[in-house]
Amino acid sequence: MTTEEVKKETPKKKKEPGKQVVIPLLQHIGITCKPLVKVKDEVLIGQKIGESSDGLCAPVHSSIAGHVVAIEERLHPLCGKIPSIVIESDESNRAIELKANNNPSKEDIINAVQEAGIVDVTGYPLYDMLTTYNRIDTVLINLTFPGDVNSNCAPENIPKIIEGMRLLMKGSGALDGAFIIHKYNQSLLSKIKSELRDENVEIITAKNNYSPIMTNLLAHEITGIPVPNTQTPLDVGVILSSASGALAVTRAVNDGIPSIEVNVTVSGAVRNPGTLRVNIGTSFKEVIQSSGGYSGEPGKIIMNGSLNGTAQPNDEVPVIKSTTEIIVQSTDEVLRESPGPCIHCARCVDVCPVNILPGRIASFSDMGMYDECFKLHVISCIECGKCNYACPSNRHIIQLIKFAKAELVKLLTIPDEEATPSPGCQSCENPCLLGEPFISGGIA
Amino acid sequence: MKLTVSHPSHIREGVTINKIMWSKIAILAVLSLFSAVVFGPEALAVVLVSVLAAVLTETGIQKLTKQELTIKDGDAVLIGLVMALLLPPTVALWIPVVGAFFAVALVKHAFGGLGSTLFNPAIAAWVFMNMSWGTLTGSESIPHISEYTDLFIEYGSGRLGEVSSLILIIGGLYLIYKKYIDWRIPTLYLISTIVMALLIGEELSYVITGMLFLGIFILAPDPTTSPITKKGRFIYGILCGILTVVYGYLTYDYVVAVLYTVFFANAVAPFIEKNTFPKPVNEVSA
Repeated sequence: MTTEEVKKETPKKKKEPGKQVVIPLLQHIGITCKPLVKVKDEVLIGQKIGESSDGLCAPVHSSIAGHVVAIEERLHPLCGKIPSIVIESDESNRAIELKANNNPSKEDIINAVQEAGIVDVTGYPLYDMLTTYNRIDTVLINLTFPGDVNSNCAPENIPKIIEGMRLLMKGSGALDGAFIIHKYNQSLLSKIKSELRDENVEIITAKNNYSPIMTNLLAHEITGIPVPNTQTPLDVGVILSSASGALAVTRAVNDGIPSIEVNVTVSGAVRNPGTLRVNIGTSFKEVIQSSGGYSGEPGKIIMNGSLNGTAQPNDEVPVIKSTTEIIVQSTDEVLRESPGPCIHCARCVDVCPVNILPGRIASFSDMGMYDECFKLHVISCIECGKCNYACPSNRHIIQLIKFAKAELVKLLTIPDEEATPSPGCQSCENPCLLGEPFISGGIA
Repeated sequence: MKLTVSHPSHIREGVTINKIMWSKIAILAVLSLFSAVVFGPEALAVVLVSVLAAVLTETGIQKLTKQELTIKDGDAVLIGLVMALLLPPTVALWIPVVGAFFAVALVKHAFGGLGSTLFNPAIAAWVFMNMSWGTLTGSESIPHISEYTDLFIEYGSGRLGEVSSLILIIGGLYLIYKKYIDWRIPTLYLISTIVMALLIGEELSYVITGMLFLGIFILAPDPTTSPITKKGRFIYGILCGILTVVYGYLTYDYVVAVLYTVFFANAVAPFIEKNTFPKPVNEVSA
């Protein structure tokens, strides 16, 4: 994922809404929403169809007008099978009334963000960032993740992103804000610079690309305070959002539109790669068809980045709020080499952003020596995938590290009835792929 | 439509063991041709016999123990080639055969094959040959860089690998540019050697030989036998420089100094590594 891969913004097309959408009741880190509608109910565009008040939760909304066909478990791009609401369109495009507000107060912003169910690319509900008990003094917007930047940083969106920054600062009470831009992305830098009026907002250039999984590291580099995996940037007084988060906030607060559409960049083995505006719940298949369909036989479909994105079991999975990028690999591009021995070349050590020894940990994990992995700080790994990318021997470093972490959790968890449960997701028993750094804590 | 589901990352950088090994072999093959210019065709005979013996030994071992054949990764070829470059051209041809067998069978495969070796097989085999048949493997001449052209081709060299510093420098820089070897060990090795030599008051024309560059770019940064930690590689490079100058100062032979340096540095590499384990940047100190 070098910066050369940051493509020029392509003109944005609106994908025509499909016949059917599948809206998962879990599109965030937290608990699954309870459905507010029943089968055969009529729904409008923007109508709230799922919510829960039991814990960390972002409500979900219908993205098309029509009626509910089914409420059942459907495939989810990150979490296996999740209860979802299936809505069939009646092609009427009737929408709920929108409450526009051009001069919102702090409470208005928080309410609007909560009602709109905005979820950041990390999968974390944005309203929870605004209502945290930590004192927030800085709002950072990460514009270094290529998937997010390609999808959301078209020229017409720049003023909205800057407005989103203003709203987030007002909503959280932060005094400072900063956009983080890769130093080679000069076009975006100059665009933001020319639009930026607020003198409390700075532009910081970064040397690396920070994918959503690296938010803690980015907060550490900006603030100078280490953020371990058991914490979030909120613990050091930073709200770290993305271009898609800022856009959604502007839309929700100023126009009253809930989170029902996302910008998705489709790239790889498709006929017309480019950015599309997609209703949430549209299947990947329809999105890819709108991009001209597959060119050649597809071998792998990846959501959100080639380095640490998630490979999809089939193309029926729906687009969710944190989707920014769909990458299609042809069968020839899919990696199939079997791993060789580790030659201790230390390339993984050189690229590791948290300064651990990934290859050595993976070797110990391969041998089942998880206590040695623990001594080598396997818990600090943020699973960015750079070691895997650099390995000359095709070793499955990230997979082995994740496995060691899971085994360590089993070894180190002491069953305690009275202990408070971790605030993580409780919707399924599978190891969670939704922003693991947020919930893999509890043992460090 | 069949889709593959696998763990990230879904792409790789494209640097493979094969590319690393064969790039080194290509550089050393050019060096062998230069040695043939200086010493005549018998130099090529030593190289060919050594490579062939190493490859045959590896094939035999892997056939006998029913392992997958790994000749294609180039490690056996590289061992044979490096070992030949440490020998004088006049050596009897049975010596590289024994040496290659020792390197591949006892130093590489007895310890677990590629990636598990404790010592650089070629160096360990050279030490074995030097201990056993010191007079047969000793060189008749010690190179002395008196003019700048000696860096390009050195007619006074005694071993195959010292004939051209320039080829090794260009090749080594290419390896560093392609990230096939790490920059830390070569840089620190070179700097510490020069600094030590200047401190001791040694003439640089004796210290800087073709063998020093072979050590700097090929022998010392050998991935398996050097430390993997960043700090460890710094220390390893400095240690190599100090050992080279100390050994060379005491024995007046800076060529053999490089070889023994790498041998001894290999021996302490695990110790250096163990004491330089890094601390994660995101860990909060209690």
